[in-house]
Amino acid sequence: MSRTKLRLAMVVALFACFAVWMAVGVSGQRAPSGTQNGEWPNYSGDIKGSRYSPLDQINASNFNRLEVAWRLKTDNLGPRPEYKLEGTPLMIKGTLYMTGGTRRAVVALDAKTGEQKWVYSLDEGKRAEMAPRVLSGRGLSYWTDGKGDERIIYVTIGYRLVQLNARNGQPIPTFGKAGMVDLKEGVVYGKLVNGKWQQVQIPLVEGEIGTNSTPLVVGDTIIVQSAMAEGLRYEYTNNAKGLVRAYDARTGKQLWRFDTMPGPGEFGHDTWENGSWNWTGNTGVWTEMAADAEAGLVYLPVESPTIDAYGGNRPGAGLFGESLVAVDLKTGKRKWHFQIVHHGLWDYDLPASPILMDVTIDGKPRKLVGQPSKQGWLYTFDRLTGEPIWPIVEQPVPQSDIPGEKSWPTQPFPTKPPTYSRNYLAKDDVIDFTPALRAKALENLKKYRWEEMPFVPYVIPSEKWLGTILVGNTMGGVNWEGSAYNPETGIFYTQANNSAISGASLSQEYFETIKPEKHTPNHIAIWEAPGFAQPGFEAPSTSGYRAATQPAGGGGGRGGNALTEGLGGLPIIKPPYGVITALDMRTGTMKWQVPHGDTPDAVRNSPLLKGMNIPKTGQQGIVGAFLTKSLVIVGDPQVTAPPDRPRGAMLRAYHQETGKEVGAVWMPAAQSGNPMTYMVDGRQYIIVAVGGGVYTSEYIAFTLPQSDIPKPTTSSQR
Amino acid sequence: MRHVTTRVALIAGIAGLGMLCALGAQDMRSVWDGVYTEAQAARGAALFDKACAQCHGPSGEGGGMAPALVGETFSANYAGQTVADLFDRNRTTMPVGREGQLSAAQNADITAFMLQFNKFPPGETELSNQSMLLRQIKYVVER
Repeated sequence: MSRTKLRLAMVVALFACFAVWMAVGVSGQRAPSGTQNGEWPNYSGDIKGSRYSPLDQINASNFNRLEVAWRLKTDNLGPRPEYKLEGTPLMIKGTLYMTGGTRRAVVALDAKTGEQKWVYSLDEGKRAEMAPRVLSGRGLSYWTDGKGDERIIYVTIGYRLVQLNARNGQPIPTFGKAGMVDLKEGVVYGKLVNGKWQQVQIPLVEGEIGTNSTPLVVGDTIIVQSAMAEGLRYEYTNNAKGLVRAYDARTGKQLWRFDTMPGPGEFGHDTWENGSWNWTGNTGVWTEMAADAEAGLVYLPVESPTIDAYGGNRPGAGLFGESLVAVDLKTGKRKWHFQIVHHGLWDYDLPASPILMDVTIDGKPRKLVGQPSKQGWLYTFDRLTGEPIWPIVEQPVPQSDIPGEKSWPTQPFPTKPPTYSRNYLAKDDVIDFTPALRAKALENLKKYRWEEMPFVPYVIPSEKWLGTILVGNTMGGVNWEGSAYNPETGIFYTQANNSAISGASLSQEYFETIKPEKHTPNHIAIWEAPGFAQPGFEAPSTSGYRAATQPAGGGGGRGGNALTEGLGGLPIIKPPYGVITALDMRTGTMKWQVPHGDTPDAVRNSPLLKGMNIPKTGQQGIVGAFLTKSLVIVGDPQVTAPPDRPRGAMLRAYHQETGKEVGAVWMPAAQSGNPMTYMVDGRQYIIVAVGGGVYTSEYIAFTLPQSDIPKPTTSSQR
Repeated sequence: MRHVTTRVALIAGIAGLGMLCALGAQDMRSVWDGVYTEAQAARGAALFDKACAQCHGPSGEGGGMAPALVGETFSANYAGQTVADLFDRNRTTMPVGREGQLSAAQNADITAFMLQFNKFPPGETELSNQSMLLRQIKYVVER
């Protein structure tokens, strides 16, 4: 061999070594980033919010033959049974990890048999009792160094970040202090000290902060969100200030923090007028987040500031309230933001994981981030720059007449894709089963402020109006259950509530407790209220709301008010009450939309509709769907008892291409947590959390009968 | 003697049948039969305000996290069950974090208020605070 050839060979060998090292560094050392190998290693499958698995053993041809493989009742995982299990398990290397029970226990099971491997739970006493986000939460996160160090990560009810050894459930002693980081440390709220506003540490027990959501693990970084008590009926103007923090996955050392309400001198601080930044809190990130590891960006869906439906104590646009914010993965510095609602008054906080989508639009490859919302829009941006993919237009909106309220003159209206659920009550969408029902409905609506558009402000009930007709706020469209995306086809899918209508109002009585004159200058947080947490302390009174929602009428055992009076308990809004929608992200158009869920018993059995042929209406409620290679899979949000099957709910499969329902299996209760799928030893499973009403929560695992499972081939899939 | 025994047996049998019929009649009761009083629901409303409304809303319309206690989904959960199921659910699992701290009488009052805001009519007798007795009252959505 000549010297030149030898050199060349050495260079080639060196290069080959480097390539191998790189490959190990990139893929071997990291947590599995997605579902490609049959695992489900993140809450959403991957860190992009996709909720997609390429598995296809369970498909349209056999979905109806699914059988229960095993189930996990969560009653005994906490001090009392749970009825609202929202969890989605992780499946990594043949082991399932999930939360369950009223103490938010962590459970590891054999993914094939459901046999318990270990359980961990932490009794946090008073701190958990006072927590704003209780119960078992939505699940867990996973980190590995790729060399055998595998850890399960979660946030406790009392807001502690915990790491457990994935093999045995023992806390990792080198993480934080004995396996945990106290997330309440470093959280601040505004306090008037000697006449001067200061941001001070919240109390570690009473301080109101927590989360139900799962931390996001990107490489060696754990990102943790923050949530407070729900703010619709809140009386106090102060609260913990929202923040997102990143921690070193190995040690628990804090790497950065992003304050969702920018402080003095920071960009956006001036959007809090009249000094309202000083006392206002909330503005957390209470739902799932997503990340683009390649671009080094984390996407934060931010919620509303304190007191959702009244902004008299927080004049101004209020950044980064109700904004999608992209921050740098390494530093936490803001890269871009888009405020989806200015000076929010409707509880249109960003409720669901953003979804990262790579598609070709007009011949150009684009990197998108889509933000699902309660208000029926999928707000879609270039995820590197924050530019809207299709125009989002500021349009004038109706203004508030509530004293002290400075409602924002305009709001952003996306032009594409079309809404996947209603965000206002159109005249054409008023009930029309019979002319009499429609006439009565239109008469009822005269008592309300009703404008055929979103963003109509609340009113204080008066002779003129009892409330404001809103569709899609609070419980409309998509909520924490989120949406899904098939990266192979470029189609976005979501279930959504299409009939969340309310006659929204702030009663005079409630208004008296929240008006600025009541709080200025002594704004306080709830834990500073006299007698807080003492026997006899009354939580913020909500009695003021009753006046507006109590008028007689309605009936039919489904509640009633002036809005539904005389309608025999039927919704004032037309079906479909709940839908599944497919949006083609290559064109920003709707591919299909179908009703989801059997017609509710109350509608099917209504004496007012006797003899009529009512097409499937779908159901009100919000449930999360996930995708396999060819199916959209999601359970019913309600229990029904149609004549052809026992009382219960169905887990349904729809064809991704057409929306046609291709199969359904029975469940004893409605879906309460998002389903997921995985494959182990050549067999595909689906797990879904169910419960509610009188049915205590459980996870149910479905799989195909052994006779349907193909014989193992040489390359066994795990 | 034999006749007497037969007669006693007959009378006992008839009485037994009567009791069975009475129980049968009790079985027929539903939430539409005025199973709580206005006064009880008013007491329940005050309790509900302090113990439940913070999460479920003042008239049970629900919040983002806590489910509505009126409407289709709620009705579907209890349709065909009994008032005992609702009462026991309240008694054993609510309010979250303070389960079991309200007395049975308070839970009965709250349950009465829930029946009221679900538009079931009041009546002359109060809702019992005994789960066994509430098992005789069916939760029927349609009248």
